[in-house]
Amino acid sequence: MTELITNSSPMQLGSLKTQRIMLLVIAALLPGISVASWFFGWGFLINVLLAAIFAIGLEAFALGIQKKPIKAGLSDNSALVTALLFGISIPPGSSWWLVFLGIAFAILIAKHAYGGLGQNPFNPAMSGYLFLLISFPLDMTSWQIPVNYPDATPLGWEGLQQSLLVVFPFLFSSTESMQATVDGMTMATPLIVSKMAGTNAILEAQQAGLNIFARTAETGWELMNIAYLCGGLALLALGIISWHIPVSIILTLAIVSGLFYSPHSSAVYGTPYLHLFGSATMVGAFFIATDPVSAATTNKSKILYGIIIGLGIYAVRVWGSYLDSIAIAVLFGNFCAPLLDHYCRPRIYGHPKQGLVSWLLGNRS
Amino acid sequence: MSSEAVARIARLKLRPHRIFGGIKPRAYKSSSLRSRILPCPIPDQLILSLRQHQGEAASPVVKVGDMVLKFQLLAEAENDSALNLHAPTSGKITAIAPHAIPGQSGQPELCVFLETDKQDAEIELTALPDYRAMSHLELLDLISQAGICGLGGAGFPSGLKLGDGIEKEIGLLIINAAECEPYITADEALLREFAEEVVSGAEILQKISLAPQCVIAIEKDKQDAIAALKPALRNSSIKLIALSAKYPTGGEKQIIQGVTGLEVPTGGLPQDIGVLVHNAGTAFAVHKAIIFGEPCVSRITTLTGAPLQTPKNFEALIGTPASYLLKICGLDKKQLTGAIVGGSIMGVELKNFDSPLLKTSNCIIAKSAKEFPQQAKEQACIRCGYCANVCPAQLLPQQLYAYSRSNDRLKLQDYGLADCIECGACAYVCPSNIPLVQYYRASKQEIKESMLRERQSEYWQSRFQTHQYRLKKNQEDKLSKRKKKKSAAGTKTENTFSREKARAEIAAAVERVKARKKKLIASTKLDK
Ligand code: SF4
Ligand code: SF4
Repeated sequence: MTELITNSSPMQLGSLKTQRIMLLVIAALLPGISVASWFFGWGFLINVLLAAIFAIGLEAFALGIQKKPIKAGLSDNSALVTALLFGISIPPGSSWWLVFLGIAFAILIAKHAYGGLGQNPFNPAMSGYLFLLISFPLDMTSWQIPVNYPDATPLGWEGLQQSLLVVFPFLFSSTESMQATVDGMTMATPLIVSKMAGTNAILEAQQAGLNIFARTAETGWELMNIAYLCGGLALLALGIISWHIPVSIILTLAIVSGLFYSPHSSAVYGTPYLHLFGSATMVGAFFIATDPVSAATTNKSKILYGIIIGLGIYAVRVWGSYLDSIAIAVLFGNFCAPLLDHYCRPRIYGHPKQGLVSWLLGNRS
Repeated sequence: MSSEAVARIARLKLRPHRIFGGIKPRAYKSSSLRSRILPCPIPDQLILSLRQHQGEAASPVVKVGDMVLKFQLLAEAENDSALNLHAPTSGKITAIAPHAIPGQSGQPELCVFLETDKQDAEIELTALPDYRAMSHLELLDLISQAGICGLGGAGFPSGLKLGDGIEKEIGLLIINAAECEPYITADEALLREFAEEVVSGAEILQKISLAPQCVIAIEKDKQDAIAALKPALRNSSIKLIALSAKYPTGGEKQIIQGVTGLEVPTGGLPQDIGVLVHNAGTAFAVHKAIIFGEPCVSRITTLTGAPLQTPKNFEALIGTPASYLLKICGLDKKQLTGAIVGGSIMGVELKNFDSPLLKTSNCIIAKSAKEFPQQAKEQACIRCGYCANVCPAQLLPQQLYAYSRSNDRLKLQDYGLADCIECGACAYVCPSNIPLVQYYRASKQEIKESMLRERQSEYWQSRFQTHQYRLKKNQEDKLSKRKKKKSAAGTKTENTFSREKARAEIAAAVERVKARKKKLIASTKLDK
């Protein structure tokens, strides 16, 4: 007989492991990341890559100082997912130090200070993002996009130079003329534009004769959201995430924005379409809010959690003073999650059915 | 109450209902179903544990050196939870000594060692093909005599279960043929070849339990067994219900939910809602016990796993060593990495290969490194909630896990640890390889122990309180005596203690003490 293997029951196990879940999440993010890079150029891609490198380094550091096994800790790929979500969320072309600070906050404070993977009450990527938004509001609202379109494509050589310049300014400290270009590279999401100027950027772009495949940042949002939506649907189909959170966020947002929108009033409220496809809604609903560790866990509480986040996104966007809202809404949802979980437990087999109130609260079989 | 339950069941429409949660693991059933059920040859030695199930051990009625015949009683059950044990074949008792048996604890049990003479000479049996003339209680007695227990794995004495059911009044008997766990095919093979006998056993069980309705429940995908059952049921009032195939449909609580839509109340038994569940293998054993008078000395057991060249179902004698069974199935020792008794989910590791087959051993799996790799290390719970989605008890395994780690007894109770059936579905899906069932077992054990400790300390506390009470009473006693002396009223019979609202036992104790103390006081007074 070969070497004996003793296991404990159940002896036969499923094959979906944490490591694979995280890899699949990363894979599902790739279409969105590709589309976003296509439109936003090198600045976006460099941010994402930089975040990934910092995250792996800092995760290894955090595990090391806690004397936890580094290789095993890194192998679950969770730091990589955090890095990608963070990298996607920050303005393209953010400075390297901004990325570093955000990731450091996400990994060291929001994750490891709470005890590491599985213990963190708040989504690390969004904590890092919000930390930057509060500490460096100016840097966090300037979107540095190469503006030379159509002369230079965002992923072209010139774009790369420009992006490297904004991300690593110390490399090019002497090029004054480049600095000038950079200053002009700021823009905002269509929703922000609509909030600030009372106009609908997508409509405007379309009226200006650009179709959605034109490589400008304004129309990029639409395609990018569709790409994230596809990735999210793939995760749903694979059973990695359940439908409860994304569906309830999207429905809530669609309904609320539909209720408040009227074409004749000021456009500040935005159409439901603009809310769903004009900002970071899809990546938020399918990838950020569904981060299992910090989300609600029972099916009923997940629905309520989604509704809270959907309302939060809308409220912050329309009535809040911050420019983007996914992070705030998700963190607020995280905050509510334990309470929701506590009150929305399924009725245990063999326990008596309860009255209407608890039924509404979710104790239905 | 119970007749209410029976009436409720009579009103129900018996059809497939949804069962909570569940998983669909790969089944690995086809290889052992390729051949028919074969009789296993008689080994040179049988090792018969006096404890065949999770109950009391039986006491031997034979001595070392005795020659015994097939079906002869070897050990007798001295109470309800024990099981009679009979000789599976003829031979000589060579020892009565502890030996390893398959099981969770791995503790050796006292076993009767039977050296077989290969004659297979039997004692005379009383066949009862005409059992219908007998009363249900007479039949029940025969079942108890035959040493039959639940052959599906749990091993509850069938006579005891039936008796309890009769007392509570039963509206529905379910014959559980779901066999949802991977690898095990004993019941499926049995139904394929002995459907008539199983139906006959079910009818006997129905007669004994006085259940107005009986259902055989099976998983939809067991087509051969269903095809064999249909003609067997043609002249019977027993219904066949095919449930959708998932694990753990065959759990007692789950099969009841699947057939009736009812749930066994928490902390209760199926009898409480007028339902009784017996396994198909048990029905077969009941058939043999009544119709032929044969006690339970063999069972159908699945031998399977990649290292076996000819996986199959054997009708094997109880007490056959596992190593013997594996060997005659063409064991390839090079591939073997261990063995499991039971299915691949709830089964337990076979620690000693010479462990004998028990009445409850429905399957032996020879493990290969490929099918059963070393389990990966436990990682952090990512709260994905997959476990909660598959839990047939609708628990939140991730919460139970957290509270089990933090030893939070109140929360564990609140989150229904006691309702966990330890099916392992949660651990099967857990992406972080957390051995959740192990945590729950440990917590249950801890809670049990600490409750025991508490009960003990309560006992001591009440002893202490009685003591305090006694002291106080003595004081009062003296005072009242003085008063009595003063008033010179000699109504000595007035019992000051009878006014007290103390519990009966305390009062009684105090009474005795009082008498003694009085004597003592009286004597000291005399001394003075
Ligand atoms: S399946 Fe495992 S990792 Fe997921 S919530 Fe349950 S215990 Fe945690
Ligand atoms: S072992 Fe317990 S907690 Fe886990 S799925 Fe089964 S019943 Fe639920």
